[in-house]
Amino acid sequence: MKRVLFLFKQRPLALVGIVVILFWFFAALFGPSLLSFTYSALDTDYQMTRPGEGGHLLGTDALGRDILTRILHGSRSILTVALLTSLFSTLAGVIIGFSAGYFGGRVDAVFLRIMDILMAIPPLVLAMVILGILGDSTIVSLTIMVSIAYIPATARVARGAMLTCKNYEYVDAARIMGESNFSIMFVEILPNTIGSIIVEATARFAYSIMMVASLGFLGVGLQPPTPDWGMMVIENKSIMMNAPWAVLYPALAIASLVIAISLFSDFVSKVLIHDS
Amino acid sequence: MIPDTILKLRCLGVSYRTYYGTVVAVRDVSLTLGENESVGIIGESGSGKSTLAYAIMDYLAANGTSTGEVLFKGENLLEKSRKEMREYRGNRIAMVYQNPYSSLNPSLTIGRQLDEVSLFHRNSSKDEARAASIEVLKDLYLGDAEGLVRRYPHQISGGMQQRICIAMALLCRPDLMIMDEPTTALDVTTEAVILDLVKDLRDRFKMSLIYISHDIGIVNKVSDRIAVMYRGEIVEIGPKKGIFDRPEHPYTRALINCIPRSGLVKEQVRLNTIPGYVRKRSAEEHGCPFVDRCGKRTSGCVERYGMIEQSPGHFAACDRAYAKDVPDESIIPTAAGPEAACQEGELLLKIEDLYKAFRSRGKTVRAVDGVSVTLHRNNVLGVVGESGCGKSTMGYTLSGLLTPTKGRLLFDGVDISISWKKRSKEILREIQHIFQNPGRSLNPSFNIETIIGRPMKRLLGIKSRAERRKRIEEILRKVDLGKEYLLRKATQLSGGEMQRAAVARAFAIAPDLIICDEPTSALDVSVQSSVLNLLSDLQYESAVAYIFISHDLHVINYISDYIMVMYLGRICEYGKRDEVISPPYHPYTEALLSAVPEVDPSLMKRTIRLEGSPPNPTKKIIGCPFAGRCHKKVGSICDTTPPPKVDFSESHFLYCHIPPDKLSTNGIT
Repeated sequence: MKRVLFLFKQRPLALVGIVVILFWFFAALFGPSLLSFTYSALDTDYQMTRPGEGGHLLGTDALGRDILTRILHGSRSILTVALLTSLFSTLAGVIIGFSAGYFGGRVDAVFLRIMDILMAIPPLVLAMVILGILGDSTIVSLTIMVSIAYIPATARVARGAMLTCKNYEYVDAARIMGESNFSIMFVEILPNTIGSIIVEATARFAYSIMMVASLGFLGVGLQPPTPDWGMMVIENKSIMMNAPWAVLYPALAIASLVIAISLFSDFVSKVLIHDS
Repeated sequence: MIPDTILKLRCLGVSYRTYYGTVVAVRDVSLTLGENESVGIIGESGSGKSTLAYAIMDYLAANGTSTGEVLFKGENLLEKSRKEMREYRGNRIAMVYQNPYSSLNPSLTIGRQLDEVSLFHRNSSKDEARAASIEVLKDLYLGDAEGLVRRYPHQISGGMQQRICIAMALLCRPDLMIMDEPTTALDVTTEAVILDLVKDLRDRFKMSLIYISHDIGIVNKVSDRIAVMYRGEIVEIGPKKGIFDRPEHPYTRALINCIPRSGLVKEQVRLNTIPGYVRKRSAEEHGCPFVDRCGKRTSGCVERYGMIEQSPGHFAACDRAYAKDVPDESIIPTAAGPEAACQEGELLLKIEDLYKAFRSRGKTVRAVDGVSVTLHRNNVLGVVGESGCGKSTMGYTLSGLLTPTKGRLLFDGVDISISWKKRSKEILREIQHIFQNPGRSLNPSFNIETIIGRPMKRLLGIKSRAERRKRIEEILRKVDLGKEYLLRKATQLSGGEMQRAAVARAFAIAPDLIICDEPTSALDVSVQSSVLNLLSDLQYESAVAYIFISHDLHVINYISDYIMVMYLGRICEYGKRDEVISPPYHPYTEALLSAVPEVDPSLMKRTIRLEGSPPNPTKKIIGCPFAGRCHKKVGSICDTTPPPKVDFSESHFLYCHIPPDKLSTNGIT
């Protein structure tokens, strides 16, 4: 604990990251209920209003919808999808990567080929293909497709961690004391690799936000009228010269969250990995 | 300044700023080294030996600062600029490091790396540099110097690599050579050759030498004087004979008595131990560095402290090693007594013609090549041999981590030549394994209770947590670890404590056979002795059998009832301990015995130089595997015909072509 505080002092930016992340979680949970507008309400008197006018703190878009309300609503879906994605892709990645690394040989070879194929396709393209199969974008389908797109990366990290750990003699000791492969993998080895896995999961969290925003930007994210940060950027692109705030604030929201998570992820890796 | 003094350290101190505060690594070290003199520095790990060497070379890490003076031929090296220091390093002061493999650049030829020294320090032309390199290799008696310079470091053996490093250090004919454990990573026979070479070079080139080692036996071979370091200070310095015959500082005496040496056997004496471990030293601590572990301390030890001349040339900071006011505990007879030896039980393990081959890049490596041996209950079989002789592989096949390629292993009448996956719980419980490095064999995420409790639950079927805890506490008490260790994680323990926990884990499930695979090799001598005592006590108490694998003949001699000498996967000699340790010897046993460094400097042995390294294990050997290096080779018969088994007694046999009556009957010393 003392060491964590010491590291904090050395890296004040990590604190900034954590504050920003907490801000967004707080905003997603309570923000929408604190505001008087709804995300789809069209305020015909105030179209493309400057920030601050008519009670619209961050202005409105071309249809007169309140930008702040839409950003806060959008944070709910993006955080939900990103959290679930990093959770699922890490879980699946650990199971697949651990099995491949632990058993080696043919299991590993098959795994590596499949992962190579998946990795040869850019995640964004892969996500769009899976989306095509699953149909319309909903929070569930978005989560599934982004998770699948990120499994190869997390599985590789888990496999690498397993390869280092399985050569330790405590694994041999566990074997000749009659432990099952399952218990060696998930009881003996997992705790010793948890650091790098958590770091990978936090990094995936940041990537997922980028991915969800990109999909929204490309028009294959959540469907209107549900607010989506990426979609807000693209739908207001045409009015950017007249109402820059309509593009600027959603873009800032994406950037602030991604950078904050990256800072946090760096800090976590310092605490967890360099500690041992 | 006395003209023939080459190096004078005056109150040299080194401290490091760390997250935990300032740590003193070297404190107030004063040392004078004459021309053509050799001083050996010994001490446990963490005593500051290497830091001292680095401070002389001004190689300290960025967070280190040095104080005091390093006078090299009258000039203070600590005041030199970086640029000026280049003149000294490698040129007038040279250093040889522990691991030759990592001190040579793997992507440059040996010749290129040697040439660089002359090119840099002497501004020689390329041809001159190459000529100098070849000459220095010839100085080191390396045949085919012209061929050697074209090769890369990975193409030659470890011993050869270390000789290249020595050649590199020697190129500029330095006035002072510092060697930091240069033979620790090498086999004992190679070590003997290198030590001979160092001695010879000193005589020929009139170099001064600082030789750092953890092993007093090695230092005896190359040094005139010995300095004993502990927690950053020199606690005693004097001629090697004086240090061994009458160590004055309690630490020196304890350290010397810790080391297993010829003649020490388990049924007669317990090895001396030093309680506790080497702690880091803060800047505020004063007084005797050894005070917290010393059995002879008085109330004045913290205040009064300083070097006193005990006899001419022999200085010690304390003279209480033989103090009469406290009972002397340096030699304690074993509880077991002489009758503990060879209490032969019934037959436990029978190895029949064991083969283990590995496939490597399409070639077959025969790691174990036809070993047959038996082990009875309550016996300790010591297996000794150089690295690569197959001793560990044999151990792994017994515990089921490897399956034999051919041959049968009969354990209590049950065939166990199968892998751990197919073994019954009963067999898994009965055969335990203690690994070399406890830091790697204990799961760093678990606490000690979990580590010992898991096999208890699985193999003894004790489901109740409270029952397990009771048993764990009991076994921890047996290995001298208190209740407070239950909840500590393995990473919070010192090396010795970790190995004790590993021993406790093995004994917790009451096995019949324990394979001890170099269990003390990663430990300091003072800790090694306590672990050896512990293993020996527990063995006597529980009547378990050990297969004790080690490269150290003194350790094997101390703990074993039977000894098996292995070379290249085959047995050279097998017999009761005293039969193997005394003549007649197999030539390889003889060479091993002659190479082992002795603690007592008056025990001068004639060293048998074994040139070269063991032959390539991928080639099928028809004759005697040792023929290529044997100093007593009979003739071509050794290469063409497998040596016959020669029986000397019911228990003692060896494989050699030399007629039994011609085998050496003289001792080594």
